[in-house]
Amino acid sequence: VASAASSRARRGFGRPRTAGTMPPPTVGVAKTKSKEFYDIVRQIGECKNKSDEDVIMRREVMTLRTQMASPKLEKTKMKELLIRLMYVDMLGHDASFGYIHAVKATHESDISMKRLGYLATSAFLDEHHDLIILIVNTVQQDLKTDNYLAVCAALTTVCRLVNEETIPAVLTQVVDLLSHRKEQVRKKAVMALHRFHQRSPSSVAHLHGKFRQMLCDKDPSVMSAALCALHDLILADATPHKNLIPSFVSILKQIVEHRLHNYDYHKVPAPFIQIKLLKILAALGTADKAASTEMYSVLSTCLKRGDSGGNVGNAIVYECVRTAASIYPSPVLLEHCAAAVSRFIASSNHNLKYVGLDSLSCIVNINPKYAAEHQMTVVDCLEDADESIRGKTLDLLYRMTKSHNVEVVVEKMIEFLKTSTDKHVRESTAARIGELAERYAPTTQWFIDTMNAMFAIGGDVVKPTVAHNLMRLIGEGSGDVGADETLRRSAVNSYLKLLQTPKLPKVLLEVILWVVGEYGTLSGRSPGELQDVLCGVVETQPDGAAVTSQAMTACAKLAAASAPPALSPAATKLIELAASSRDVNKQQRSHEIVALLRESPALISAALPVDRSGEELGVDENLSFMDALVSKALAEGASPYQPVAERAPPPSAAGFAASGPEPVGALRFDAYDAPQMPARDYGAPPVRVDASRGAYDPYIPREETATAATASEPTLRRKEGTWGADTGFVSTSAPAEPPVKDEKALLADALFSGVTTSSPAAAAAPPAAADDLFGLGLAAPAPTTSVSSPLDDILSQLSVGGGPAPPAGGGVGLEGFLNAPAPPVSGGFDLLGGGAPAPTIVPQFVRQNAPAPAAPVRTDGMVMSPGMDGVSRPRGKKDPFADLLG
Amino acid sequence: RTAVRRRRTLRPGSKAFEGAKDIRDSRGRASGFGALDLGLNGRGSGRVVVERILGEMTVRFVLLVNKQGQTRLAHYNEIVPKAERRQIEGEMVRKCLTRSDKQCSIVEHRGMKVIYRRYASLFFIVGVDEHENELAVHEFIHCVVETLDRHFGNVCELDIMFHLEKAHYILEEMVMNGQIVETNKSIILGQTVMYDPPPEK
Repeated sequence: VASAASSRARRGFGRPRTAGTMPPPTVGVAKTKSKEFYDIVRQIGECKNKSDEDVIMRREVMTLRTQMASPKLEKTKMKELLIRLMYVDMLGHDASFGYIHAVKATHESDISMKRLGYLATSAFLDEHHDLIILIVNTVQQDLKTDNYLAVCAALTTVCRLVNEETIPAVLTQVVDLLSHRKEQVRKKAVMALHRFHQRSPSSVAHLHGKFRQMLCDKDPSVMSAALCALHDLILADATPHKNLIPSFVSILKQIVEHRLHNYDYHKVPAPFIQIKLLKILAALGTADKAASTEMYSVLSTCLKRGDSGGNVGNAIVYECVRTAASIYPSPVLLEHCAAAVSRFIASSNHNLKYVGLDSLSCIVNINPKYAAEHQMTVVDCLEDADESIRGKTLDLLYRMTKSHNVEVVVEKMIEFLKTSTDKHVRESTAARIGELAERYAPTTQWFIDTMNAMFAIGGDVVKPTVAHNLMRLIGEGSGDVGADETLRRSAVNSYLKLLQTPKLPKVLLEVILWVVGEYGTLSGRSPGELQDVLCGVVETQPDGAAVTSQAMTACAKLAAASAPPALSPAATKLIELAASSRDVNKQQRSHEIVALLRESPALISAALPVDRSGEELGVDENLSFMDALVSKALAEGASPYQPVAERAPPPSAAGFAASGPEPVGALRFDAYDAPQMPARDYGAPPVRVDASRGAYDPYIPREETATAATASEPTLRRKEGTWGADTGFVSTSAPAEPPVKDEKALLADALFSGVTTSSPAAAAAPPAAADDLFGLGLAAPAPTTSVSSPLDDILSQLSVGGGPAPPAGGGVGLEGFLNAPAPPVSGGFDLLGGGAPAPTIVPQFVRQNAPAPAAPVRTDGMVMSPGMDGVSRPRGKKDPFADLLG
Repeated sequence: RTAVRRRRTLRPGSKAFEGAKDIRDSRGRASGFGALDLGLNGRGSGRVVVERILGEMTVRFVLLVNKQGQTRLAHYNEIVPKAERRQIEGEMVRKCLTRSDKQCSIVEHRGMKVIYRRYASLFFIVGVDEHENELAVHEFIHCVVETLDRHFGNVCELDIMFHLEKAHYILEEMVMNGQIVETNKSIILGQTVMYDPPPEK
């Protein structure tokens, strides 16, 4: 058909045309350029490989650089040089030296030079380039000229280069051009407005009426441009445009009836406009019965006419099917569509088969019966040699999946995943497998097997949520104890077997480590044995730190499950090694595990209970468990908590505060002060309440912190009795020091060093006695004053290591709790842990270990973060880290 | 003279088209792109960093590549950094040029659809949105070729190379803001030619 069509075009071309603007056919090939130009282009064309081309292009760059810079250059010559520069740019060499010449060419009065200048500029630059600003002025002038060609060239450039900021500079001029006498200008002005809408819908929000007006333009090309713009508007919000349906239907009808004859393409009337209109109708008729009814008749006419329209007719039919499928369904219309779909699917033309599959999946959504007659074809397509067709078939199957066929469909999808290479396709296939398996899984065993297969094949593209769902399924079980145990046992066994495979994908490994840690003992092996297996995994799997830390946690769980709680020798070695790791996460876990395993078995089993991952963890947001402490602190003279908002602004930031209170979360546009060295004699940096054991502080020499910790406790002078404001505190050990340095400096310190500054609250805390810190902090929810004070406020004050809480709240919110493994944040955790009546459970590892972070489940992390363990540990115990750190 | 020798018509069904079975690139450009591509992937960015603009963008790029995998014309309708352009072009060459006649001319690539059509030694490759009408784009390519053909008269690869700017003008007329706006050949060519009036005889 294509060749027949083109020979038709050939004949048509041979006849003299009557159209006034029609160029003589040989114009394009007339030799209008210099021999040098033809030679160089020919050389490029004759390159056999990339390196030849590179040689030529490098030489070109040299030549162009010198020639373009020469002062007396003929205009025709400059044109050629610009085209050569476009080659340089297109073939991947740096042409930036010549961009400015392209911009200059746009200033020329010669129209052909100007047009080329605009073309080259839009090829070289994007709308964020610095030179755009130079173009805007030229464009403004050209939009004003009488020469409509210059106006068109400028409008074309507007469509390609105007960015959000420059829209206002040209907007009014473009709007004026909507009533230009030349239809080409009007068309391009509409497109320019369309472009503004794409860039920044608000800039043309007041001009929607103009688009409707242009739809009625007497010139069809302006009308079709308006259709583009209206289509976008309708996609964004169809409701205000519903009243245009009759207009669209009537335009489509007129086109189908061949009233727009100069847009024929292979004897089909204006096919591209028809398709555009069909898309618009689809958007307008979605879920709107009344609107859809208006369209049925024109759609079926379209469908009928399209059937005999050759290739482009098929495109129209295909679009009709998609429209019919997305509007309110009409059974009659759908029958016609089904017939067309059958024709497509049965076709030997691969493109038609492809769109046939696509349109079938559209109508199958409405009525599954249409798929029945194509069963065999679809099955054949699954085996097709073409990946595109196979992928499309799976799309279709995905939409047809129900619980009865899920096993087959998923099996096919996994096969496809094996052969597919495109990352995007693999990702979406993996996501679909996960979705279908979750929704329709006949048995849990099947689900786990499927997931294992998928992880093994597509582990690189599986989303972590899929893995979390799998873990949750295993963890929560079905409620039937016996069945759950069988399921878990089989999962553990299959995972233990899988562990012998080298190079498992990371997601799968994560699942395996968690499952073995939780349910490993169901396999009948002893916890010690399992720990050895896990330690072996660290050796054999390549993923490094993440795997090691997960294996460590799993070992800890297994150790807790054995009686008496103990690590196997291999696990002990692994964990000891991690204590000196450079990876903070590993280090922290190691310390935590060691510390926990020293506790009484009761505490251990409470912290790491067996099979309780499905339980919800209640979070007491009011911190009511701290009430006792609060009232005790109040009784001892602590001042009640004041919410941040009620506190007096710190005078040290007076200059800043003079300009009004800083809106929370607002951006600051003034510069921060240069960071200053924090004063040495602040007293102990309160960040490091337990500085003497500070495994996490690489910045402050041990010696100094040790002294700080043992130094005489700085007492506090509270000037106004308000807690939390910077001013009130002067550490006695630094009496000469201005109370608190400039707030900005502190913030800068906090941002850039993190450790050396102190939050006001913490600054006041005597380093060794963490209770005082608590005493202060716990003034917070004092029942007498402000019980409702938000948790975040307290936390922002107490978040040790967060630096001074800036007015905007630099503390750690609840979110920080749930998924921040980083040690500095952990100060916040112990708040809960310390006072919690329940075993101290800190959601440290939620991110990797707990199933589905979204669902609050038991958080099976470790108890303490070393940064604060003094707080949460029962007092009087020997410091667990003292010997570790010497 | 070389021009004449290399002049082969792009018409499907022509002798050149029949004979041009060997489309696999043995050396040269494709492998060059491959090396570049690996380098880019090594950075860990498999994703195209393309700034999508709001609204419907149908035609995202039009690419003309010869069967050696050399880019002959690249027309992007959205902001694509230069390095990404090279990468896309390399991937297109590897994906499209290796397909046989028995396969459909639609490829899914990085979340967009790529539709290509071969005319003698030249591949016309168009990247469109995922939900675009593939058949329409396929026909649109033919419409572009017909327009070029009418302008140049029996268009060939070298015509496009010698008159790169004309080919761009034509495409700019036909596609604006990623939308197919004009398919009337007289209007397209009328506009194009006005900027470079034929030399007075």
